[in-house]
Order: sequence, then structure tokens, then C-alpha cells
Amino acid sequence: MSPATPPRPDLRPYFDELERFADGQMAPAEQEAFELRLEQDEALAEAHAAYEQLTADLRWAAGHDTLRLRLQALDERMNERGTALARTERLAKLRQRRWTVLGTVGAFVLLAAGVAAWYFSRPSPARPARSWEAYYQPDPGPVVTPALLHSRPLLSEVLDQYQSGHYPAALHSLGRLSPPSVGADTLQYLRGLILLRQGQGNAAQLYLRRVSEEDGASELARRARYHLGMAYWQAKELAPALKELRAVAADSLNPFRAPARRAVAAGVLERR
Amino acid sequence: MSAPLAETLTQLRVGNQKFLVDFYQRSRHLFARWAQRQYQLDAPQAHGLLQDTLLDFYDQVADGRITKMPDDLRAFLYGMAQQRLDAQVPAHVPLPAAEAGRRQRLLAQFNQLGADCQQVLTYFYFRGYHFEKMGGKMGFPNATVARLQKSACLRKLYDLLK
Repeated sequence: MSPATPPRPDLRPYFDELERFADGQMAPAEQEAFELRLEQDEALAEAHAAYEQLTADLRWAAGHDTLRLRLQALDERMNERGTALARTERLAKLRQRRWTVLGTVGAFVLLAAGVAAWYFSRPSPARPARSWEAYYQPDPGPVVTPALLHSRPLLSEVLDQYQSGHYPAALHSLGRLSPPSVGADTLQYLRGLILLRQGQGNAAQLYLRRVSEEDGASELARRARYHLGMAYWQAKELAPALKELRAVAADSLNPFRAPARRAVAAGVLERR
Repeated sequence: MSAPLAETLTQLRVGNQKFLVDFYQRSRHLFARWAQRQYQLDAPQAHGLLQDTLLDFYDQVADGRITKMPDDLRAFLYGMAQQRLDAQVPAHVPLPAAEAGRRQRLLAQFNQLGADCQQVLTYFYFRGYHFEKMGGKMGFPNATVARLQKSACLRKLYDLLK
């Protein structure tokens, strides 16, 4: 491009005058004189035209550059705003996702806890209860009626204490009863029952065995046999416990046949 | 609609560029989508293209090549952008080669000046500030200092061009 450009006049000798003229800095007389010189002095006129072109180009360059810088600055601001908005959106989504995950995990944990609680608290065929107490059906003994209270006050006291769960007191009162007044079998049966409820399965076995062996056909003996089986179980003697309970379960006349069958059917005694 | 647009063109010619800056702010996103769809340009490339197109438009208005505001400015600017892309070079609407070269050279030298000189010359020749106002903007003690500074900067630019 440069080679095509015609040679331009050197402005330097006229720069000061041209600038003062263009900027309106001359006094009126000086300005008039300068305008006259412009008409007469060809070199000055060329320099003036070149100066005007220079300032016109400068006006264009300054405007162009100003617009370029403004657009660039705006572009950067918009990019920053866009980035900030995208980051905010991303954070909001992340937070939402985190809450969703936490909520889901929480729900799963609660569900798992609920299932676990249900699973461990519910006796099921898959995990039958292993404690003898879960299968034990207590014998409350005869009801203390006013007639019984009147005819056998000591026995009534023993039954009352036994039924109220005061086993040591019941045992003590039982010691005051004489066999002839109540019957030796009944006394031994009651002692066995009380000891069993007191958690002394070993001691209970002796009395309950005697009753069950003495007259196997009596109802008391049948009852004693069931409690003897449970006393074995309480003392962790599983084989004799299973044997006794099977016999009870097979005895259609035994009032404790149903709980005995339940205990045998659970298979807890066999597995151990 | 033509009256405000004609007014806009006049404003643009005397240096009020707000109209183009607002257009860029409003249209950048849509233009980028258009450029992506038509020419597979990514967003930064499209933004650069729109800036160049607006600068072209400004130049043409400033030097009188556009004398009438287009009826559909958006279509006109998109057309200019298309021309730039089709020509695969910065497609300034041709000025006489000597003039285009002289201007580009001056622009390059203008950018070589210090920031203060650029500012002083912009205030005086582009914004049209008088010396007193320019002195106030630049923190000069009086109008005479402002005049001397402007004069020194103009000479510096002229020396760079020589």
C-alpha cells in the first residue's frame, strides 16, 4: 500500500500554525492573515490539507478504538456474568443433587432400620425364639376363692403370693404348710412351680420329677411333666427337656399339650 | 421508526456509540446461536465476529459510506457478518487502497502512544471536548496545560507516522 501512497508534504515546519488555526487559537487578525496565505502559498495549502486529513483520520482512529475497547470490555463483563451464573446454577444443582442423595440415603437407612427392627423383633419360622420363656405357659394354680381362703388360709396365702410374683415369700409360706393338710404331691408341685418361676430350674426338677413319676396318670403328674420339661430347658439340659416335652405333646389328656407341641415344633431344642 | 433511526445515525456519526454497544449486549447470544448453526462457530469466535461487524458498520457510518439507516438493521448486520465469513478475511467494504492503508497505519501508531496521549487525543478529536473540559477530565491544572499536552501528543503521533 505504501508504494501507491503519493508523497505527503512534511507538516513539521507548519505544525504550530496549522494547529493553532484548526483549534481556533488565533486572534482574528492573525486568522485572516493565515487564510490569505493559504490562498497564496501552495506549500502551506498542501500542508493544511494534509493536516486536516491527519486529524480526520485521527478522529476516525480514536472513535474506532474507543468502540473496539468498549465492545471488548462489555464482552468480558458478559462472559464473567455468564460464568458466574453458570457457576451459581451448577452449585444449586450440586446442592440439590446432594440433598436428593442424602434424602435417598436417609430414606434407605430408615427403611433398613425399620426392616431390621421388624426382623429382629418378630419371631419367625426362620429365626425362632430360643429362650424357654418364649414357649413357657405358666400354671397360675387354683383360684383363691373365699371358700378356699376360709378352709385353707395358709395355702391361699401361698397361692396369692405365687400369683402376685412374690416367689421367695411364697416359698417361705409353703414351708409352713404340712403335707397332710394339702397333700404331698400338691406341695411338691407348688414348690417345683415356684422354684421354676424363680429361675432355679435345677432345684425345681427334683420336685417336679417326683410328682410326675409318682402317679403318671393323674392330672397333676401330667402338669408336672410339662413344667419338668421346661425346668430342664431352663437349666439348659436340652435333651431331657425335648424328651419330656415330646411326651407331653403326644399326651392328648395333658392340659399343656398345646404349648409343648409349639416348643417341639419350633425345633429350637433339636438345633442346640 | 425511521425518525429515531435517522437520529441514531447522526448520533453515531458524532461519536455516540451507545446504540451499537446496546445492540451488542442485546444480540450477542442470538448472534452466537445463529453463527453456530450456520457456520459452526464456537461462542468466542461468534462474539469476535459480531464485534468486528459492528466496527465495520461504525466505520462506514463515520466516513459517510452509510448515509441511511437500514430498514432492518439486524438483517443488514448479519449480512455484513456473512460477507466477512464468505470472504474469509476481514472484509472491510473497500475504501481506496491508499486511504485504507493510511488509516490502518495511523490506527497502529495511535495504539503505540501512551495511554494518556491516546486519552487526550480521543477527548479532543473524538469527543470534541474543549481544552478546559479536557483539562478537568485529565487532571491538568488549566486549559493551557491541556492544549500543550494535546499538541505534544499530536506531534508525537505525527513523528511516529513519519
